[in-house]
Amino acid sequence: MHRTHEVLQSPSIHFKGRASAGSLELSIAIVRGDMSIFWISVGMGLAVSAILALSAVAFTLEYAVSRVVNLAHGEVLTIGAYAAYVTENTFHQSIYVCAVVATIAGSLTGIGMNFFLIERFRNQKSLSTLIATLGASLILQNLLLIGFGGASVSYSFAQGNLLHVGPFLWTTLTIEVMVSAVVVAALIYVLLQRTRLGKALRAVSQNRDLAQVSGIPARRVVMQTWAVAGAVSGFAGFLYGETIGTITPSVGNGFLLLSITAAVGGGLGRPYATFGGAMVLGLVMSIAGTYTSSAYQLVIAFGFLVVMLLIKPNGIFVRGRAQTVRV
Amino acid sequence: MLQYWTAILTEAAIFSVLALGIDMIWGWAGDFDLSAYAYFALGIYMTIVLTVGKAKSPVEYVLGLRLPYPLAVFIAVVVVVAFASIIGAIALRSLREVYFSITTLGAVWAIYYLVENFTPLFNGYNGVYGLFDPMGGGLSYAAYHYLFLGFCLLALFVVYLMVQRLSRSPFGRMVRAVRDDERAASVYGRNVFWAKYRTYLFGAGLAGFAGGLFAAYIGAFNPLDWKPTEIFVLYAAILVGGRGNPRGVVLGSFIVYVGFVEMTRYIPSPAARPELGPALRQILIGLLIILMLKFRPSGLLPERLGTDGTVPRRSWRGLLSRSKPLSLAGEVESTADSPEGTAT
Repeated sequence: MHRTHEVLQSPSIHFKGRASAGSLELSIAIVRGDMSIFWISVGMGLAVSAILALSAVAFTLEYAVSRVVNLAHGEVLTIGAYAAYVTENTFHQSIYVCAVVATIAGSLTGIGMNFFLIERFRNQKSLSTLIATLGASLILQNLLLIGFGGASVSYSFAQGNLLHVGPFLWTTLTIEVMVSAVVVAALIYVLLQRTRLGKALRAVSQNRDLAQVSGIPARRVVMQTWAVAGAVSGFAGFLYGETIGTITPSVGNGFLLLSITAAVGGGLGRPYATFGGAMVLGLVMSIAGTYTSSAYQLVIAFGFLVVMLLIKPNGIFVRGRAQTVRV
Repeated sequence: MLQYWTAILTEAAIFSVLALGIDMIWGWAGDFDLSAYAYFALGIYMTIVLTVGKAKSPVEYVLGLRLPYPLAVFIAVVVVVAFASIIGAIALRSLREVYFSITTLGAVWAIYYLVENFTPLFNGYNGVYGLFDPMGGGLSYAAYHYLFLGFCLLALFVVYLMVQRLSRSPFGRMVRAVRDDERAASVYGRNVFWAKYRTYLFGAGLAGFAGGLFAAYIGAFNPLDWKPTEIFVLYAAILVGGRGNPRGVVLGSFIVYVGFVEMTRYIPSPAARPELGPALRQILIGLLIILMLKFRPSGLLPERLGTDGTVPRRSWRGLLSRSKPLSLAGEVESTADSPEGTAT
C-alpha cells in the first residue's frame, strides 16, 4: 500500500501514463531515470510555445478576416524586434518602453500591409494575394537588410537568473516572456468574446459580404483586426528577439514557417484552435529537438505540418470532417 | 565583355528551361508550387555526385560514381521525377491552392534543412564540388564556354519546342480545363488528380534537367546556392513574360534575368555594404511581382486559350500544332469513376 502511494507520486509514472505511445528515446530516458532533461525540455517548449502562440494567433486572425495566407507575416515580427532594438540601443529606454514601441510598430505595419496590399487584392483569387504577400515579404526583408545590415544585433537586457520552478528550469526572462504572452492571449480572448469589435470580427470572418449588408462596417473591422494582429506580432517579435538573443532581418521569416505550421496544424482561421496547435508544436519541437538534434527541429516541424495536412487538413482542434480545404 | 555575355546568356538559357518547367506546374495546372527549386537543386546535386567519382575523406556524399555526363543527367532527371512523385502525391491528392502552396513550402524547407544538416547525403553545409568538363576536354577555356552556351541554347530550343507542342496538344488543353474548373472537367470524364500529377512530374523533370545543365556550368553546389526563396525570381520571370504561354515564359526569363543582372551591375555596392546590391535586386523582384500581379497579371504575352491548337492556322505554327476538333479538353482518356481530389 505504501509502495503504491510512492509510485503514484513519482513523476516518471505520471509521465509514463501520458506517453503510452511515447518514443523509444523517452522510454530509455525513463529507464535511466533522467527525467530532468525531459522536464527541462518541456519547460523550454512552453516558452517557445508562448511566443509561437502569439505569432500564430495573429497570423490566423489575418486569415480569418481577409482570407489571406500572409507570407509577409514574419516581417511584422522582425519589424517589431528591430523597433525595440532601436528604442533600446539609440534612445536607451527601458524594457517596457521597448515592448510598447515594438507593439506600435507592428500595429502600424499591419495597418499599412492591409491598406497598401491586401485590400488592393481583395477581389482577386486567394492565390494571387498569397503571391503578392510573398513579394511584400521580399521587399520588407531586404529593406531591413539595407537599413540594419546583415549582421545580427542583440538587446542588452539582462537575461536574469536561472530558476528551478518545480521540474522546470527557466530564467527570469523566460518567465516574464511566458507571463506576458499569457496576458496578451487573455486580452485577445476578451477582445474576441466580450467586445463589439470581437463580435464584428467573428461575423466578418464568417462572411464579409453578409456582415457588410447587416450594417457592420466590414472594411473598418478588417483594418482594426490587422492593427490588432500587427500589434500582437510586433510584441511577439520583441519577445522572440529577447529570448533567442540575436536579431537578423530574416529572423521573422524563419518564425513565419512555424507560425503557419501551428495555425494550419491547429485550425487555420480559428484563434483558439491555432493557440492549441502552437502549444502542441512548441512542445513537440522542443522535446524532439532535445532527444534527437536541434538541427532537425525544423525538419520535424515541417514533417508535422505535411502529415497534419494529409490526415486532418482542417486542423487538429477543429471538430468534424474536412469540409472545404480548397479555398 | 564577350565572356561576360556568354556567362549571362548561358545562365538565362538554363533558367528559361527551369522556368518552362515551373510554368507547367503553375501556369498550366494552376498549382503554385514553392518546392520546385528543390527539384532544380536535386538535379544539380545528382549530376555532380554521378560524375565526380568517389568522395575523399572529409568530404562525404552518396554514390560518387564517374558516369558519362549525358547518362548522369538522365539518371538525375529520373531521380528528381521519382522524388517529385512522392511530394506531388502528398500535396496534390486533396489539397489545392493555398493549402497546396503551404504544403510545398513546408516540404521544401524540410528538405533544405535535411540536406544542410545530414552530411552523408550531399556533404551538408559545405556542399559538393568537382569541376568537370562534360564535352570531353581538349578545348580552350573560352572555346569551351562558347560551346557550352551553344549547347544550352540548343537544349532550350528543343525543350521549348517540346513544351510548346505539348501546350497546344489535347493534354495541354485538358490540364488548363482542369485548372479553370475542376468540377466541370471531372464531369466531362477527366481525371483531375492524374492530370495535375502528370503535369507536376513533367515540370519537375524539366527542373531536374535544368539542374543537370547548371551542374555542368557551375561545377560546385552547396545549400547557400539554393535558398528556397530563389524561386521568386522565376515566378517574377513567369509573371512578366506571361503565365501559361511558353514563349512568354522564355521572354520573361531573358528579360528578368539579363535585365536584373545588368541592372545590379550599375548599383553601387561598396565594400562596406556588400549586401546592398543583392538586397536592392530582391526588392525590385518583390515590386515586380506585386505590380505585375496587380496591373497585368497575364504578362507581356498572355496565354491564348481556345484558338491554340483547336483551330488550324495557316502559318508555321500550324506545323507544330495538331489540329483536332474543338472539345472541352481534347484528351480522350475518360474515367467513369469519380476522380480523386474533386470531392469537396
